[in-house]
Amino acid sequence: MSGYVSGILAQLAINIVIAYSVFLPAAAGLLNLGAAGFVLIGGYVAGALTLKAGVPLFVAIPLAGLAAGLVAFLVSFPILRTRGVYMVLATFAFAEIVGGVLINIPALGGAAGLSVTAYAGLPVVFSVTVLVVAFVSWLLATRFGLAMRAVHDDENVALLFGVNLRLTQVFAFTIGGALGGIGGALLVHQFNFIDVQTTGVMFSIFVLLYVLMGGTQTAWGPVAGALFFTLAPEGLRRAADLAPALKFLESSRYIVFGVAVVLVMMWRPEGLVTRTLVDRIRRA
Amino acid sequence: MQTLQQIVNGLMLGAILSFVAVAFTLTIGMLNFLNFTIPALFMVAGMTLWALASSGGHMFGFGMHWLPAALLGITVAVAGSLVVERFTYRFMKAKYGDATEHALPLVSSLGFVIVFEHLVITLWGTEPQRVTLPFAETDLRVAGLVVGVPQLVSLALAFVLVALLSALLSRTRLGRALRAIAENPDAATLMGIEVNRIVPVVFLITGALSAIAGILYAASYRTVSPFVGDAVAADAIAGMVLGGLGNVWGAIVGGLFVGMVKVLAISWFGAEIEKIPVWGLLLAILVFRPTGLFGHSKIGKGKF
Amino acid sequence: MLDLENVSKSFGGLKVIDQVSFTVRAGSRTALIGPNGAGKTTVFNLISGAYAVDQGTIRLEGGDITALPARLRIRQGIARSFQNVRLMPHLSTLENVMLGEHWRSSPFALTRSRDAVRAAEAALADAGLGTYPGQVVSTLPYGIQKRIEVVRALAAGPRLLMLDEPAAGLNTAETTELRALLERASAQGITLLVVEHDMNFVRRLCDHVVVLNFGRKIFEGTPGAVHADPGVREAYLGAQAA
Repeated sequence: MSGYVSGILAQLAINIVIAYSVFLPAAAGLLNLGAAGFVLIGGYVAGALTLKAGVPLFVAIPLAGLAAGLVAFLVSFPILRTRGVYMVLATFAFAEIVGGVLINIPALGGAAGLSVTAYAGLPVVFSVTVLVVAFVSWLLATRFGLAMRAVHDDENVALLFGVNLRLTQVFAFTIGGALGGIGGALLVHQFNFIDVQTTGVMFSIFVLLYVLMGGTQTAWGPVAGALFFTLAPEGLRRAADLAPALKFLESSRYIVFGVAVVLVMMWRPEGLVTRTLVDRIRRA
Repeated sequence: MQTLQQIVNGLMLGAILSFVAVAFTLTIGMLNFLNFTIPALFMVAGMTLWALASSGGHMFGFGMHWLPAALLGITVAVAGSLVVERFTYRFMKAKYGDATEHALPLVSSLGFVIVFEHLVITLWGTEPQRVTLPFAETDLRVAGLVVGVPQLVSLALAFVLVALLSALLSRTRLGRALRAIAENPDAATLMGIEVNRIVPVVFLITGALSAIAGILYAASYRTVSPFVGDAVAADAIAGMVLGGLGNVWGAIVGGLFVGMVKVLAISWFGAEIEKIPVWGLLLAILVFRPTGLFGHSKIGKGKF
Repeated sequence: MLDLENVSKSFGGLKVIDQVSFTVRAGSRTALIGPNGAGKTTVFNLISGAYAVDQGTIRLEGGDITALPARLRIRQGIARSFQNVRLMPHLSTLENVMLGEHWRSSPFALTRSRDAVRAAEAALADAGLGTYPGQVVSTLPYGIQKRIEVVRALAAGPRLLMLDEPAAGLNTAETTELRALLERASAQGITLLVVEHDMNFVRRLCDHVVVLNFGRKIFEGTPGAVHADPGVREAYLGAQAA
């Protein structure tokens, strides 16, 4: 496998993990525009651990997830007091604050970012991703997963059937945060670098968009979304190489993504992968 | 004296921010829709002004006079705004009846932001550009304070435009129709208000406001870049929340306040810390007093 | 088993429920009827805890549940269906039914476990709905959805089953099936409290009737006596007809 292909696959795997971090709260009805916040926490914690404390990767990654999860848990209480557009803004504010704090820590590189030497290659990234996918699939298949999706569809009725609204949402948000942290830990060790600038507003926006595009009804949605977001630009870049007349495709790959978002929201707002689609595939 | 100068600088920045905050608050109040394309249109107008009129731009091989260039910038932005209206709000309403309960317009608007930003990047690259315009270099000295002419214009215009807007909303038929739509879009339709023809007016007004702000920003700070919208978005949203969602005068106060907090924070603590006070304040408001200083709790009641 | 004592509820300045008292005896099949706007659904919402009472007490089997949070009332044995079908639109039939027993299951049990699936399928079959287990409910016809709601409420193992216009929109065959299902539930000891406009349905199913009008109780008695009561006739038909 060439370095190029394995790089793309590693990027895809990391995008899948980060997609799940936004997917879980979304499946419980919470829109999270703060993915960058948890990815930054995980990336910086893991990076600091391997760089400054010589902690091995297989310990640093879970610890990063734990740290991000803890922050998510603490932050969930104020954030879950908000609703709708206020919640979107609150999660956005949270991510900005995380970035704002990290950029002011010189020991972690400050504005220039954090460079680490430990490397997580495709095997590591891939195995972690597989574990994450398995975990989320399991979670959604439990009664807790049912409660999450019930809360997403109709909070008030879920309450009348005994679902603990607050607990369900806190849990979904916390685990989402932890997964974001794991994604960040993988990211910093795959690229050997992380900084606040590139993991900022647009990062959070892109993640939310491709999670919603993929679909929030099933555990396969985030995979579809991440696939589209990672591979479509590459596909466009390859297509551009085919003929000089198609050169514009390369520089316009984000425009295509933006247009795709608008189109999907118009014609298939529940996302590419829906319950009915999965059922139909299963029955076939 | 230094502090007084910083406060004045903050007010100047705040004036520009308040335009954008008003645009945001108008859209949220009228249509229950957090329109992320507003800061993108701000950027587009500024970039268009640079591309046409400033040395270093000269898109068509010559330097246009700043006034037609500014008007063209506003036109382009308003056109963009109307496209967004057609494919987000109006589409959702046609398909789902009540666009206000869905996250779809918000998400679609994010898609448009990506399109606008990358269109600009494709045309002119990602580097910030220096804006040189004839009048922009003049500063006034008043009582030992330095005030840029464009910035003073921004402050004055902010108040004038919002006063006009307020009058429009409270005294004209159009304004009454807009307020009826804000209360209850379906009841408004039943009363004979042609929602489909009036909602675009909101997008037109907000597009124009954002564009004017973008041009004033380019003239005041003499720089534009494809990412200038992102920076302003955060602050303008903070201003909107502070003033209360849907409250136009509140948005002005909020915008001015945020401008001041930002400039003072930078001058006291350095540029890198600027995010924390603004966003910390915003988060606190969202959690403890989401209606802001003057807002109504009804706004934002629909899910998104 | 259920006692409402002088319960009142206002929204803004409007008194929607005014000093209503009535008793639902254990094992009975009680109908709550009245013209549109009488406050029947509000009474349901007060009993289920969705709204808080302004004045008065609600007692369930002697215990005061007036201040009990809505989330905990299902543990006391109260389950309900809704006037406008409120199934979870993106969940399948089976999953909606499983939500009914959510309160007494462990959070990390798999919903795909054979026992859970079989139990839910059995409940659906019992109601004549056996052919729709895996389908996402938003694609199902209205009449089917309404009956799934009843199955969902039954899956909670309630002692008091509250149904808000369960027969509305059902055709004759479906109505008969529904009545049979409710009779079976009643035979198992479940107390029924039903809001209905279909008087035939009420007469055939219920043994006790409470009539509301403008938020006040105007009659309580047997289905037979309801017709004769002049107050009830006036409420439904207008003062002239009484």
